[in-house]
Amino acid sequence: MADQSLEVASPIPTARLPLGVAALYAAALVGLYLLPAALSDYWLRTLISVSALTVASLSVSLLFAQLGMVSLAQFGLLGVGGWFALRISHGLGVPFELALLTGGVAAALVGLVIGLPALRMRGLYLAIITLMMAGAIQVLISAFGFPDGGSGILGKSTGTRVMMARPFLAQNDEAYLRYALVIAGLCYGLVLLHVRGRPGRAWAMIRRSEVCAFAGGVNIVAYKVWAFALAGFLAGIAGGLLAGGVGQLDASAFPASQSIMLFALTIVGGAYSWIGPIVAGLLLRAFPALLNDFRVDGNIATMVFGIGLLHALITAPHGVAGQLRDLVGTVRRLLGGKRKAGP
Amino acid sequence: MIEIDDLTVQFGGVRGLSALTASLPEPVTGLVGPNGAGKTTLINVLSGFVRPTTGSVRVDGRDLKDVPIYKRAAFGIRRTFQNEQVVENLTAGENVAAVLDNVPTDGQPRRQLIETALEFAGLGTARDVPGHSLNAYQRRMLEIARATVGRPRLVMMDEPGAGLAQHEGEHLRSVIKQIDGYCGAQVLLVDHDVDLISATCTATLVLDFGSAIAYGPTQKVLADPKVRAAYLGVLEETT
Repeated sequence: MADQSLEVASPIPTARLPLGVAALYAAALVGLYLLPAALSDYWLRTLISVSALTVASLSVSLLFAQLGMVSLAQFGLLGVGGWFALRISHGLGVPFELALLTGGVAAALVGLVIGLPALRMRGLYLAIITLMMAGAIQVLISAFGFPDGGSGILGKSTGTRVMMARPFLAQNDEAYLRYALVIAGLCYGLVLLHVRGRPGRAWAMIRRSEVCAFAGGVNIVAYKVWAFALAGFLAGIAGGLLAGGVGQLDASAFPASQSIMLFALTIVGGAYSWIGPIVAGLLLRAFPALLNDFRVDGNIATMVFGIGLLHALITAPHGVAGQLRDLVGTVRRLLGGKRKAGP
Repeated sequence: MIEIDDLTVQFGGVRGLSALTASLPEPVTGLVGPNGAGKTTLINVLSGFVRPTTGSVRVDGRDLKDVPIYKRAAFGIRRTFQNEQVVENLTAGENVAAVLDNVPTDGQPRRQLIETALEFAGLGTARDVPGHSLNAYQRRMLEIARATVGRPRLVMMDEPGAGLAQHEGEHLRSVIKQIDGYCGAQVLLVDHDVDLISATCTATLVLDFGSAIAYGPTQKVLADPKVRAAYLGVLEETT
């Protein structure tokens, strides 16, 4: 029971089953090798977007679950990360990894600026301020567009658009999906490292109350700023992954409304669990793709998301991830197993 | 050793503390007074949550004006709260670790320091229990473990005895008495429970309307007619 309730607190569960974990890793490796080979081009591209948006949702859930702070600017930060990754990739021809990191660091710096109001505000006011920041990013991106191989600071090409160079190891879609999944895994590792370590404890104290954090000697300003920078970094990495997947980015694809959608679906998926961001990524990209596969208008997804959000707010405070966990627990009880619930 | 010099705290038109001057050298000092006398305000000034309007406070000779609020724990000023502030989604051990992250360890292994602090507070077996599964008494004791880990100088407790059962209250008393010997920290205890104060505190400071009306050995102070008039009217009838 203890493990189960701890999970509620951190986006990453405290799995302590060495054998189970080893089996999970082995299954993940086999899946990582087999799955991309079995998919059509359409689904390969869809799942590449899913892994990028999982990282984006992870960045939202980090702020929400760890500090109880709502940032509605994270999708805009994807655009920032993507812009810088594209610019440096086209401009300097650096390896993909370096472009990705540059995108992450640039978005971390912008995320840090967005986080500054969080030092004084929270709740609705913080949400509104960050939404306005997302709006500002939207205006800048639609005014200047994304770099596509041209010269000058903006890197806009007048002729044909050049695609972003993919990583040396992952030139085709199949390999790039594996690459994106590994990067998403590394991002989870980075968050886990923080949550289980000193920053996670400091964030937990801050979330309990600021007097509690002060009495415990936590430097509240530094840890809040760090959380926003880390969330920005993750969003930037997600943007870079997206840019590498498609080869270019569409200036109209980063409206402020997408940030709200990202936040809403993170709640639907379950911000307090590590599964939540994956569910959110699937809902954002795979679900509309699935509808298209069945020749149903993908825009219906938006309605389903609305219903899902209502459902999450009314009956499932821990989102789909929480319901999955409850389901696993129920099944285990029914099977008479006495093992602790939780993956 | 706490030295308070001409300390005034003004909240708008209300005076929380009014030109309070006191020197508190005893290892366990009580702080009593009627509601609104300024007890919690004094603790908040020491914690850094409230800025003095005028005057100064020194702890072990260091003027607290020079210690920023988030460095006070590392300097050694710790406290427990009237409304307990245990972090529910961290285990008892992690709760202590969260404080230990920010205070000096003197090169000792962290794990050992955490276990010693928990054992001192009587929570030796609860290290891996999450905060939300601890009962009210364990939470109080966990706050004491957090306040005593990593070289504290001054441990302030705001009504630690409120709402405890009799045997819990007795354990709390023995722990409070041991704090000075255990980690060398001075204890400043705010409580309305006169029994708790007289059982644990060697000296007591009585506040009324933000000023000191008496200070001295606890028994003598509690017997002072001025103190009884201000605060302990009930005792007067029974004695």
